[in-house]
Amino acid sequence: MQYNYMLKYLIIQLSDKSPSFCHYVNNRTEERTIAPVLLGKAILMAMQQNWTVQIVWPYHQISAELKKEIEKIDHINIVPSSLTTDADIVVSETVSDLVNLPSGSNVVLRSALKSLEDNVLVVEESLARFSRLNIFLTDIEAMGEKDFEQYSAILGRLANKIKSEYAKGHYVQLNSLTDRMMLDAMNNCNAGFESVTLAPDGKFYICPAFYLDGSESLGDVESGLKIKNKQLFRLDHAPICRRCDAYQCRRCIWLNKKTTLEVNTPSHEQCVVAHIERNASKKLLDSVRELGEFLPEKSIEEIDYLDPFDIINEK
Amino acid sequence: MTTTNQIKNENGVWEEGIAREITFIVTKDCQLACKYCYLVGKNGGERMDFELAKRVVDYVLTCDVFKNDRSVVWDFIGGEPFLEIDLIDKICDYIKTEMFRLNHRWFNSYRFSFATNGINYHTPKVQEYIRKNHSHLSIMMTVDGTKLLHDMNRVYKDSDRGSYEDVVKNVPLWQSQFPNAGTKVTISHSNIDFIKDSVLHLFSLGIGDVNINCVFENVWEPGDDIRLENQLMQLADAIIDNDLYRTHTCSFFWEALGKPMTSNENWCGAGKMMSVDAAGNFYPCTRFAGYSLRSKKPIIIGNIEEGINLNKLRPFLSLDRITQSPRECLDCEIASGCAWCQGENYDAAETDTIFQRSTAICLMHKARVRANNYYWNKLFRKLEMQGLREEWDKTKIKCNTTIC
Repeated sequence: MQYNYMLKYLIIQLSDKSPSFCHYVNNRTEERTIAPVLLGKAILMAMQQNWTVQIVWPYHQISAELKKEIEKIDHINIVPSSLTTDADIVVSETVSDLVNLPSGSNVVLRSALKSLEDNVLVVEESLARFSRLNIFLTDIEAMGEKDFEQYSAILGRLANKIKSEYAKGHYVQLNSLTDRMMLDAMNNCNAGFESVTLAPDGKFYICPAFYLDGSESLGDVESGLKIKNKQLFRLDHAPICRRCDAYQCRRCIWLNKKTTLEVNTPSHEQCVVAHIERNASKKLLDSVRELGEFLPEKSIEEIDYLDPFDIINEK
Repeated sequence: MTTTNQIKNENGVWEEGIAREITFIVTKDCQLACKYCYLVGKNGGERMDFELAKRVVDYVLTCDVFKNDRSVVWDFIGGEPFLEIDLIDKICDYIKTEMFRLNHRWFNSYRFSFATNGINYHTPKVQEYIRKNHSHLSIMMTVDGTKLLHDMNRVYKDSDRGSYEDVVKNVPLWQSQFPNAGTKVTISHSNIDFIKDSVLHLFSLGIGDVNINCVFENVWEPGDDIRLENQLMQLADAIIDNDLYRTHTCSFFWEALGKPMTSNENWCGAGKMMSVDAAGNFYPCTRFAGYSLRSKKPIIIGNIEEGINLNKLRPFLSLDRITQSPRECLDCEIASGCAWCQGENYDAAETDTIFQRSTAICLMHKARVRANNYYWNKLFRKLEMQGLREEWDKTKIKCNTTIC
């Protein structure tokens, strides 16, 4: 097995019934769990390659044999909200579920825009209880102008809540608003570049979504990992993204492929959502500074576009 | 640009790089089954329905995507487009009527464009169509070269008989109607050794500009580059020694060829054009239609029911040279003029992407550059213009590989 210098993370989806923790949907209904022997080989590979392992647990219980393999390596547990024990990251599929999650949790909330809008009060209240909240919209590709306005309004409300928490010295984290204030460079998904996924079939994929949609695998634990055209997963090979400063953007590789047919090209909707967040982050940064000195070395410039593709296309 | 009027410049293409190109795949049928044609065996009898064509015209004339384009080329391809001259005539009448009715900016800035095998060129219907539309027409007729070469590849699909005689008899009529029209010749492994004779033959038929290029597909075998170089050197001698450079051009010889690249622009225009098939599907170029591809799925960027999906156009419109090129191409000191076809890149790529440049043509480009250098050095010396060339070399720009 050759050393893969670029990769840092191995995501292991234990079962077909592990939850999505990102933009994609998992509609699988059959219970297919990874074979312990394959998991063992993958974990050995991760140890040899210095990869950080993230385990995506299923809704159902797993065997003692699998648990034994998992315990051989330091790992991060991504866990559905119904099984919060030992969770590093809790995945919630509904906004209303947030109220049941323990305080101090690091939470992934997957939500359609409408549901987020209907339950924004719950999100506001939950923000203060969690160590971090990561919101992943599940319907970005279907969003239009009105939806963008609604999202902007939601972020405005959440920004007010964040400011009020900051005023109390409570530095809450929301990926869509606080990440951009802290970042100096792109911090994106990086699937295929920094991370790959081991699926329940024992094969590697760019991310769980590429497994679930039936895409070609990248190899398996026996034959090794080969990422064809791997340069296309890097930021410097993404003509739109490499000149963008919406640093908090998820830059979802799977959404890219789904909407534009290319892994390195985001859709208009993904760019606009990221820029609505970017601009809301700028407003939040300016607003928090009214409370006193805050991140004096950081700045977010005023810009007059929501889609960097427009800048490229003007040339 | 040459600095002397002793050397003929190629006739420019109308609004090249400016006009929006809309291509109707009116039929996939053709009288010929050319041996190098990638469509042979995949081109059934589909023909475009007039009602569909009307809807396409309506869409294109009112679509926001094209609102900034000052000119348009309505291109008709096949198969052999003139097999559908009645349909084309109706479509063109409709286009003109609608552009006028809408007071569309394109009414005063449009062309109808054809690439034909020339067999039906003389027929009354085609001639009547030409008479009606002459001032807005661009017609390119394909003649491969000598009878031997032409008949080797361009054969009738039912009899394997060569088509040379049936085409060449129409060349004088075509040239009299379109004196500046050029022809296009495609070079692959099997016809390299005929290049010199073919280009000179085309010149002798009265064709002033011969556009000629090597195919982008990976058909090349060891030694083909040397054969190409030899042919081009002989052609260079023939053109220069017989003063043909005063009256004719061959696109293999281009002054700007073989220099370091400074521009990061994409070579290919895919995505800046749109192609429509008989099913009403839109493609970024005909090369992305199913019948043009060897192994990949077609890339459909929309259809007549839903319009253009702008997200599917984004990769094409943001594509640049550096992102798709391997390191050796970025470092290449003779990169200028090394062309690529986005469709072939896609077809040959390891994954379903347009961002992987095929380098199958590399050795052929290098051979062409060597012969091209020979051509210009010899010609400049003959015309006592060596000083201009040395001056140019001094100001040669270094390769820029910055990713921006």
